[in-house]
Amino acid sequence: MATLPAFLRRMEAPGPEAVAKPAHIRAERDPYQLRTLPQDRVFFFCKKIDNSRLVREPDPQARKACWSAIGVASLAVALLAGVLIPGAASRISGYRLESLRAEERRLTDERRSLELQEAELLSPQRLNALAHNQNLVTPRSDQVFHLESGRPNAAVAMVKK
Amino acid sequence: MVERRLIVLVVAIVLWSAAVIEKLAALQLVHHQEYAQKARAHQEVVRTLPAPRGTIFDRSGHPLAMSLPIESVTVNPMKLPDLGVAADLLEQVLHMRGSGLYEKLKQAHDNNRGYFVVKHQVTPEEAVNVRTLPVDWIKIENTSQRHYPKGPLAAHVLGGVDFSERGNAGVEKALDGMLHGEPGQEMLLTDVKRRGIESRQATEPKPGTSIWLTINEQVQFEAEQRLAAAVVKNNATSGSVVVMIPQTGDILALASYPAFDPNDPPEMEKDPKREDHATSVPFEPGSVFKVITLSAALETTRLGPETPIDCGNGILNLPGGRTIHEAHGGFGILSMAEVLKHSSNIGAIRVGATVGKQNMYDYVRRFGFAQLTGIPLPGESRGKLRKLPDWRGTSLASISMGSEVSVTTIQIAQAISVIANGGLLVKPRLVLKQGNQTVPPQQPVRVIKPETAFTMRQMMEGVVMPGGTAYPEARLDGYSSAGKTGSAQIFDTDTKRYTHTYNGSFAGMAPLTNPAIVVVVTLNGTHGDLGYGGRAAAPVFHTLAMEALRIMEVPRDLPDDPVQTATAPKPDTESDVAIAGLDDGPNILQDADDDEKPAGAVRGPTVPNFKGMTMRDVLAEAASRGLTVLPNGSGIARVQDPPAGSVLREGERIRVRFAR
Repeated sequence: MATLPAFLRRMEAPGPEAVAKPAHIRAERDPYQLRTLPQDRVFFFCKKIDNSRLVREPDPQARKACWSAIGVASLAVALLAGVLIPGAASRISGYRLESLRAEERRLTDERRSLELQEAELLSPQRLNALAHNQNLVTPRSDQVFHLESGRPNAAVAMVKK
Repeated sequence: MVERRLIVLVVAIVLWSAAVIEKLAALQLVHHQEYAQKARAHQEVVRTLPAPRGTIFDRSGHPLAMSLPIESVTVNPMKLPDLGVAADLLEQVLHMRGSGLYEKLKQAHDNNRGYFVVKHQVTPEEAVNVRTLPVDWIKIENTSQRHYPKGPLAAHVLGGVDFSERGNAGVEKALDGMLHGEPGQEMLLTDVKRRGIESRQATEPKPGTSIWLTINEQVQFEAEQRLAAAVVKNNATSGSVVVMIPQTGDILALASYPAFDPNDPPEMEKDPKREDHATSVPFEPGSVFKVITLSAALETTRLGPETPIDCGNGILNLPGGRTIHEAHGGFGILSMAEVLKHSSNIGAIRVGATVGKQNMYDYVRRFGFAQLTGIPLPGESRGKLRKLPDWRGTSLASISMGSEVSVTTIQIAQAISVIANGGLLVKPRLVLKQGNQTVPPQQPVRVIKPETAFTMRQMMEGVVMPGGTAYPEARLDGYSSAGKTGSAQIFDTDTKRYTHTYNGSFAGMAPLTNPAIVVVVTLNGTHGDLGYGGRAAAPVFHTLAMEALRIMEVPRDLPDDPVQTATAPKPDTESDVAIAGLDDGPNILQDADDDEKPAGAVRGPTVPNFKGMTMRDVLAEAASRGLTVLPNGSGIARVQDPPAGSVLREGERIRVRFAR
């Protein structure tokens, strides 16, 4: 019993008429033959089948089943989303909320710290020392001018020693 | 065969399910609490919610005391794996190289201490460094720290707090219940990276209530500056100043010297700097108290400002055969107004005798002495006034001129406010607002009739007029003023004798027609001729009242140049009587000093006439005579004080005003 490769080899073996043909004439390639596999003498052929004339009959049951599957899947997704999304949103909001609370506390502390700095800078003792360094003194009553803002000659009056 | 296999499979599944269900039941039902707690311990963090102590503001909203949250690093020395490693690690992370941390930790460990503060107030970077350490024996605690941004300003009013931020002096202590906040707690659910996911409040934080004081920051600063300068200048040991609005009782300034910085810890347990001389340290007021004596006389007797009082030429025979000699010559007949103006001791004693013991006792009490003013400062003294049955033979005479009674500076301010306020006593008010709630002034109580108060005001004006014991020191530029000087000799409890150190004081008001402020200045332990109230305390009143009236924008009621009213020099007989001890000790009236220099002692350079000279000439002339001139303005010398020809007192300087 011959094996399939042996059979194929036998089938491919040139016949007596083929031997008679001149060697330089190349056989025309079968348009349905596919590329041969390397190191193997197996040949495949592809045959085009035209089913365009075939018409599939509509199957209402299959369509219904399809839509049912889609509906069930959508419902399942919606239910899953309905169950999971609030939790996830809550978790995200929690992160955000805690982050904002921490930010608020930080800003409150910073504001208090700045208020303290401002109070220290506006300390009468410090202002007095600065005024002393600048030779500023308290004006006498006859040296006080009430400036009207908006007038071109309005200016800041300083009284020096 | 197939059925058998199926049965085996089903049994296996059932057994597996049973095992899972059993484990689930064990987890969810049997050990639920245990695992839930473990999960919470892993996921939940207990966080302290800060409730800062209330801020203290002045009346304009300037913060005087406030709290800031801080982070401190603590450890339990008993749970440290290795003291050396822990000390090295902490020193590196907290930048404490060379701080001897190892020794401190070892000492704490040897003393079995379970709590040790490694560093107070770590920086944010240091806190992050500590948090990133993979150890569980270091803890970061959120606490808060009290700050006094103005340093020593109003230190005696504010007081201070201890390590746990509880008030231990001043307003901080008196209103601690209101100022102190109660921190809350919240449970924070965290993820694996310790980020907060969800929090729930376990305890609600209760922040402290903020307080607005009646103190005016600027007036307070001026009061402290002037007081400190006066104490140093007069070699006094201590002093106090109260500036008050008579109509409402608002304390604009309450200063005490020596002062301290409340940011610094006390130097010792009983730090004398922290003693509030304005409210806690009573003293014999001296001649200032004659205001009470004369007010009682106007109310209860037929005596009036013009009623002649026989001052006995400085000699008074008291019942019991004792003779009192008024210092420095004394006076003959003086009107009652002149008794106040010249501060005659014998005149006051005679007026007091007319008033009588019962009336005197009643009026002293009605003016608020020997009682607490109710100001919210711990340690306020009520002063001392003996009960009427305990008065001795000379008590009425002593009290009439301000001896044998002890008072505080704030009590004097309250009493002088009665005169300024048309006879109504208004309790001093230190707290203007608590939170959003305004603290209303207390209902005034009528102490004397309005006409009596008005008359007293006029009589007190004489004290600052030429010839008065506080002229020209207490005379204001551009404002009318009135007041009374006092120089009380200090009693030495060791020798049981009055010494020649004084409580020099001045209590005054301005402007006279509708007083906007009452200022009381007391300097304790002054010495010598310049230590009397008129010399030492009245100048403080002058500068401080001028500054306070300017800050309060009180319109002037006099021309700016009061020096022109200065005419004749003071007669030698003017005297603000020092306190005389009429007890069993020596008769100090014989050697008591007045606020005015004794006649024989008033010797010094004569003031030249600078009028019409240029500033260069004035300075050259003054330098050639060794005099100090305070020039003011520019141009030609127009006005000078003291006037030409008068004798310049020791330490006195000549003020010359120049104008073009």
